[in-house]
Amino acid sequence: MSLADFKLLRPRTLDEAISLLAPQAGEGARATRVIAGGTDLIPSMRQKLFEPEYVLDIRQIAELKGIRETEQGTEIGALTTLSCIERSSVLKQHYPVLVEAAKTVASPVIRNMATLGGNICLDTRCLWYNQSLTWRKSCGFCIKKDGDLCHVAAGGKKCWAAFSGDTPAALLCLEAEIELAGPQGTRRLPLNDFYTGEGDSYRRLQLNELLTRIILPKATADLSGTYRKLRIRGSIDYPLAGVAITLKCLNGHIESGRIALTAVNPAPVLVKKASEVLQGKRLDEELAELVGDLAAKTAKPLTTSALTPEYRREMIRVFTKRALLALAN
Amino acid sequence: MVELRSTGKPRAAVRTWTSFMTDFSIIGKPIAMVDAAEKTTGAGKYTDDLSLPGMLIGKILHSPHPHARIKRIDTSRAQKLNDVIAVVVGADAPNPYGILPVGHDEHALAIDKVRYIGDNLACVVAVSEATAEAALELVEVEYEILPAYFDPEESMKAESNLIHDNKPHNLEKDYHHTFGDPDKGFAQSDYVTESRYLANEVTHAAMEPHSTLASFDIDSQTGQAGRLTVWSSTQVPYYLQHKLSLVLDMPMSQIRVIKPLVGGGFGGKSEVIPLEIIAAVAARKAKAPVKITYTREEVFWAHRGRPRTIIDLKTGVKNDGRITAVKARVVQDGGAYCSYGVVTILYSGALLGALYDIPNIHYDGYRVLTNKPACGAMRGHGTVNVRFAFESQLDEIAGRLQIDPAEIRRRNLLKPPCITVNGLRVQSYGLPECIDKIVERSGWKSRKGKMPKSRGLGIACSHYVSGAANSIIRSDMPHSTVNIKIDRDGGVVVYTGASEIGQGSDTMTAQVAAETLGCALSRIKIVAADTDLTPIDIGSYSSRVTFMAGNATMRAAQEVKKQIASAAAKKMNCAPEDLVFRDDSVFKQSTDHVGAGLRPAQEEQNSASVSGRVEGQILRGSLQQKRKDEGPKDSMSFEEAVVATIDFHGALTGTGSYAPPLEARGGKHKGGGVGPSPAYSYSAQVAEVSVDEDTGEVTVHKVWAAHDCGRALNPVSVEGQIIGSVWMGMGQALTEEMVWKDGLLMNPGLLEYRSPSSVESPEIEPIIVESIDPEGPFGAKECSEGSLAATIPAIANAIYDAVGIRLRESPFTPERVLAALRAKKNAKTLDMTEGVDPTAPVRLREHGGALWFKGKGPERHELDPARRTEGG
Ligand SMILES: Cc1cc2nc3c(=O)[nH]c(=O)nc-3n(C[C@H](O)[C@H](O)[C@H](O)COP(=O)(O)OP(=O)(O)OC[C@H]3O[C@@H](n4cnc5c(N)ncnc54)[C@H](O)[C@@H]3O)c2cc1C
Repeated sequence: MSLADFKLLRPRTLDEAISLLAPQAGEGARATRVIAGGTDLIPSMRQKLFEPEYVLDIRQIAELKGIRETEQGTEIGALTTLSCIERSSVLKQHYPVLVEAAKTVASPVIRNMATLGGNICLDTRCLWYNQSLTWRKSCGFCIKKDGDLCHVAAGGKKCWAAFSGDTPAALLCLEAEIELAGPQGTRRLPLNDFYTGEGDSYRRLQLNELLTRIILPKATADLSGTYRKLRIRGSIDYPLAGVAITLKCLNGHIESGRIALTAVNPAPVLVKKASEVLQGKRLDEELAELVGDLAAKTAKPLTTSALTPEYRREMIRVFTKRALLALAN
Repeated sequence: MVELRSTGKPRAAVRTWTSFMTDFSIIGKPIAMVDAAEKTTGAGKYTDDLSLPGMLIGKILHSPHPHARIKRIDTSRAQKLNDVIAVVVGADAPNPYGILPVGHDEHALAIDKVRYIGDNLACVVAVSEATAEAALELVEVEYEILPAYFDPEESMKAESNLIHDNKPHNLEKDYHHTFGDPDKGFAQSDYVTESRYLANEVTHAAMEPHSTLASFDIDSQTGQAGRLTVWSSTQVPYYLQHKLSLVLDMPMSQIRVIKPLVGGGFGGKSEVIPLEIIAAVAARKAKAPVKITYTREEVFWAHRGRPRTIIDLKTGVKNDGRITAVKARVVQDGGAYCSYGVVTILYSGALLGALYDIPNIHYDGYRVLTNKPACGAMRGHGTVNVRFAFESQLDEIAGRLQIDPAEIRRRNLLKPPCITVNGLRVQSYGLPECIDKIVERSGWKSRKGKMPKSRGLGIACSHYVSGAANSIIRSDMPHSTVNIKIDRDGGVVVYTGASEIGQGSDTMTAQVAAETLGCALSRIKIVAADTDLTPIDIGSYSSRVTFMAGNATMRAAQEVKKQIASAAAKKMNCAPEDLVFRDDSVFKQSTDHVGAGLRPAQEEQNSASVSGRVEGQILRGSLQQKRKDEGPKDSMSFEEAVVATIDFHGALTGTGSYAPPLEARGGKHKGGGVGPSPAYSYSAQVAEVSVDEDTGEVTVHKVWAAHDCGRALNPVSVEGQIIGSVWMGMGQALTEEMVWKDGLLMNPGLLEYRSPSSVESPEIEPIIVESIDPEGPFGAKECSEGSLAATIPAIANAIYDAVGIRLRESPFTPERVLAALRAKKNAKTLDMTEGVDPTAPVRLREHGGALWFKGKGPERHELDPARRTEGG
């Protein structure tokens, strides 16, 4: 599968990047694509999911790299690689759940290229979508690309492609905010507001915007947390279901707790009710079971990937329960 | 089983003195593969690394429909695109071909029908890959969609719209064999059990995707296209040469096939793959060299992997565990073309024999055509899925009769030398020792039954042929021929048709030649798999190369050695039989050959000795001059002996060939030609697993794998093959599965087709057992396939030991395991695999495997059987 011709833009500063993005940004499949690590974009371009005229390579922009501790918390540049996050002592100490989630992404070689920004912006995935042009043609395409119906929800007009990034589940538990830069300046929003819940137009990112920074608030530093990922192989595989949990406990009681899921909906989602149920309680088998059921109810997996939806939802329940009990000990 | 009486004399064919040597200097040593450096540094060239001046790129248009008639195909728009040189279609090469003489049902490009999603329609030749891909979009094809068949049992009911008009009921071939008296056998048994097993479809997933470069010379006399040279990633250069000649209507003599480095085959390159023919047809039309390299998706469509298989197995035993009768009905979902299918379905029956002593066997085998990519030969060809069923059932029987599972296997051993009830001759038989070794190493006796909760041990055995005793083209032609040439430079050039595909064929050839000649390994140069230079060898499949090409190499070396010995004997004033060839020198048997300049063997392997002379002197013959007056000697260097021989005889060449002996060629029944082999390898394994009872995930902790390879010519390479087999078997057992939706492969890539990664590779302890086969080269036999089949049932049996569920459908994915666990505990059932119970599977699901896709999928004909609503 060849990589079609495109023009590569390589700005050195953020301003330059924005200025290049603004006038170039086209429409649809031909629209300018931003490339960071390229581990998601390049395979998709080969499959002709995107055929951009311009590709904007942001890797030269130094200000988008690195991890800094600030007054408000910890800032991570969008270009920071996942292997860099894995090794960061600051993150290991204060935000272990993020490190744990980053470590499960793909394989060590891919993590050397893959960026956190790319992981957040990651395209949603579906077995009916992440396929070659020839393949997609043989089943009449799908609603996410070139077609008009969804194969996984029969008769459906909504796209159910699953958001399959690992770190956003952890970031949601950490109440992370993100900063977007565009021609009108920068805007900041909670990560939770970045995702739409639609499989096709899954993120709220304008064509002329860049994700610049991820901000982890002080308030969620030093929470205990963990990330559990369902996959068939111990490496390489995207999550088939993922559960991130952070807890703050005092005298054996839960002061606050957050649970987020990934790979089972078109967006990474917080299990909203879980926080209410957990608050003030003592963690035991029964509570873990209850919260596990809540999490499973939030998960809406469909046949977008390997393993049946029923099984994946069941694993959300098992993983949530197990993770809670593990954190309690 | 008929026991063969020992006649006192060695059973082996005519042997010379080397066959009885036990003290070797080159074989039996863990030397590095002769091509290791080029492969590990990246310097080595695979087909896709090659390029020729003016070379063009070919891209193939594939069918988007599983079964359709081609009403019209119009390539004119594609042809007009800039930089497109040619577009080829079926009419450009209409001759049919196929790997088996009985299965010539393929065309280079579809003529009137397409038979699976991915079938080949047209090929665009352009100056770049991107242009060729763009042009594919411009080829217009009009189809008439036909009903398609995906379920072999449904397919067998077909009356109309057949996949191939000459195959009623879409039945490629069926066989019905009865050996002994199965009815009587079952009547005499104390306990009979019967179950259905399903094995889902797997493919080879070799690292290197298929690639072919084809180029025509211009004939100097006529100015027309002349000879054709094809470089291809193939396991079978001679079959390729033969099929090219059929399709292109060219004499074989005008076609040269060269096999560059091959990045793994596992059977996926053991027949002629569409791109190999298409590249040649395209090069002819484009009048320029054409290269085609498959994408990974195309590799999945070319397939030729292991078919989905339904096995209905019935075994009868006495109370002491002795098997009295076996009945098997096997249905294989073969895909749209014959490929090796007829051989596969025969192996599935034949290899019920030759592992244990089974007095009565009944076998019904059905190879069925379906509208999916063709299945073919894959590591452990034909035996693997049936072995999974058999060894699982034997474990179940052992449990029922309260016999230790290792013990029940011992009670059913053959007594070789013998001929099995289905006509297979067994001579060397290391199975008892394999079982002993794994029982001992795994701590079976002390640990089995006392494992912690959810952890278990399982045992299983398997075997495989060391090459088929009958070639697919019935003839008396030798299966391997090897030429050796030694010239005055002292270099030994071995010309072998055997195909190195990563399994170590070139290394084996070098070791056997060097050991036989007693020369340093560094003298050996291998020229392999080039049909212009090397004599015929039928290829690298059915684990035949070490046994057959190894024997041919040894015979060629012996022929050369005889000539050297007679010349050297004259020099040394002794009989040729009194000479010993070893460590790069030739000496009289009686002498203390340390005086002959013997250096430690290790050093000898690396450097050929030059006896303190300047290399060029040999060419001028000054050596002879100088030493003329020295009188008879007790020893000579190998090189001196060579020069002496060339002085007496002229050029020093030898030929050796191998054809399996008549006694090993099997019974006379229909289909009796498949299964017989000059020797069988044996394997026994213990797997240790644990099962997570909440998630159904299975972890394999360790596998002890003992393999009887006759003699380990290169132990490190044997161990590599055992480990590789176990690992590949584990993939089929746990994670690998081709998943279909109405003929559309849902996972045509290595991300979604999940071969195990290094993370879940267990510790594998390979244990080499040497039974020294009387006919193998230095006693060697198969070691690359036989171990695979034992791994799947060993894991299945270990899962049973761990959590008490008997999985009869592979792979044992977490959802299948969990479904079975839930069913056993009567816990809340989860509709995980379309309501199917993996402990008692009923039928192959059209939509295949663990996943079931409710979505729309490819367009279907209204009479399509698969369109009916699915029951539970
Ligand atoms: C074999 C394989 C396995 C994988 N397994 C996993 C897995 O287990 N878990 C997982 O989470 N991911 C997985 N991935 C996906 C991918 O590697 C990661 O998600 C990675 O973090 C993506 O980052 P990247 O920098 O490479 O993204 P890119 O490919 O560069 O970009 C991804 C998307 O984000 C956009 N983008 C990137 N950066 C910015 C920015 N700063 N501003 C605006 N838009 C931006 C791009 O335009 C593109 O749409 C896998 C990929 C492969 C090839």
